[in-house]
Amino acid sequence: MAAVTRQRAPFPFATPIVLASGPAGFGFELEEALDLAAVGALTTKTVTPRPRPGNPQPRLVDCSSGLLNSIGLENPGFDEFVERYLPCVLRLATRRIVSLAAGHPEEMGRMASALSVVRGIDGLELNLSCPNVDDVVTGSDPALVDGFVRAVRSATSAPLFVKLPGDTDRVIASAEAALLAGAEGLTLINSVRGLRIDHRMGRPMLHRVTGGLSGPSILPIALARVYEARHAFPDAFIIGTGGVTDVASLIEMLAAGADVVGIGYGIMADPTLPASLARGLEAWLGKQRLESVDEVIGAAHRGGFSVP
Amino acid sequence: MEARTKKHRLTTRTGSAFSVPDALLVDRTRGEGYACVTLGGIPDAQTARPGQFLMIRRLGSSALPRAFSVLDAEDDRIELFLKLDGLLRELLGSVPLGTRFELRGPYGVPYEDRVELHRRYILVGGGSGAAPLLFLQQRRPDLVAAIVLGFRHGGATGLLPAFDLVVESTAGKQAHERLGEVWRPGVGIIACGPEAMLRAIARQYAAEPGIYVSLEARLGCGIGSCLGCSIPTTNGRRRICRDGPLFACSELPWLR
Repeated sequence: MAAVTRQRAPFPFATPIVLASGPAGFGFELEEALDLAAVGALTTKTVTPRPRPGNPQPRLVDCSSGLLNSIGLENPGFDEFVERYLPCVLRLATRRIVSLAAGHPEEMGRMASALSVVRGIDGLELNLSCPNVDDVVTGSDPALVDGFVRAVRSATSAPLFVKLPGDTDRVIASAEAALLAGAEGLTLINSVRGLRIDHRMGRPMLHRVTGGLSGPSILPIALARVYEARHAFPDAFIIGTGGVTDVASLIEMLAAGADVVGIGYGIMADPTLPASLARGLEAWLGKQRLESVDEVIGAAHRGGFSVP
Repeated sequence: MEARTKKHRLTTRTGSAFSVPDALLVDRTRGEGYACVTLGGIPDAQTARPGQFLMIRRLGSSALPRAFSVLDAEDDRIELFLKLDGLLRELLGSVPLGTRFELRGPYGVPYEDRVELHRRYILVGGGSGAAPLLFLQQRRPDLVAAIVLGFRHGGATGLLPAFDLVVESTAGKQAHERLGEVWRPGVGIIACGPEAMLRAIARQYAAEPGIYVSLEARLGCGIGSCLGCSIPTTNGRRRICRDGPLFACSELPWLR
């Protein structure tokens, strides 16, 4: 892989492909299908202070060009995560980002503090944007974002990535709050709140009524948020996530300003996709005679690629 | 918040899965509303076992694949039995032979690894739920006491071997009603079909031993990592795709 961007990265990424939080679980099921050496990092499923059963079925509904999900942060809770799942995560052959969510900054800080002594965790992602739960704060309020990030920042020196929603006009304000409070990076965007109704029955198709839309249909939204954030924060590390399913959309996300690109829906569709994207990007760079992916990152802000 | 769950092995599936980027549609027999479809060019096809499923999508699509239960697997071919509703199923039922599909699997715990092997079972299928049951009958006839398959209309009957087929429109009864006529105490049940049928069976035979149902949900990843198909059981949360699809009725109090 051509040298991956290093300027802003808080740790080295072997490739600019990151497994987004959620579909990759805790990595070990996926590892049977995907060589994790092909990805720069794995982001775990979000872990909360206490176990969460998640939402009742149905949790998934197809949309044209995407998927509406309502998993609801199902996870074993922090203690069981540390005891049973974390050892498996630490054995994975890639960098590991642990995703955390909590109702209060102190709870988030306590989890971060407990993880700060664990060797092999490369970063924490603060999920401030799950559209599928009631009691987990959304990242659309800069004051709340500030509180969460400060609580975690004071508890750990691990790199922090703050995952924000894409469907709010306050993303830039929230992002600024996160960065000022000491986060190294932004993960943009979470799935976008949406709804499907069974037209034969006139009833919502998801048990919890609304869900988070992911997949190709949210690519333009994610690109816009990443582009705006890159413009506003030239020095922030950005994990661009949302609707990337092929090399073309991967390049779009990089050109919008993402340093690395998260894959979520794409893993569900094809667990081997991250590896083929990494290979495809490499081939594309060679064909374009581009020295490294650094020439692609943010190109849309510089008038495009310097292609011969 | 869910009650304290029993400890659960993190990995439950055995065997290895394959991924075939271009399986070939090699044969198809259509009935009214149903079809038997054979996909070929699958090197490890014969490793698929009754109860397991494949994730299939059209070649070059970015859509999520759909799950299909295996009806038969031999050499490099896998046969499916499907109801012709929904985009991909209608496609499988209508595109020319030779069309290629992307396929991965087999996933899920084979039925025979979940049930008690000292018992014999009546297999009860509704609609395309017949597929894994016929596969089980073929591979493990020693486990099968009888087969009852129910269909709303007669369209599928010509496609399947003539076991005990109940066609609602002509017989005026449903598969689980026919089951009541052939079931005897001590005999187990393995049921696969619409949720209403599974509920009726779960309610009626809740107190009996050896009653199993094969569950269905829209699957996301198919490999157990996304939790899109997670359900509550008496043993804690379980994933239909990886811990199932077969569950003991006694694990699913909500089904009764």
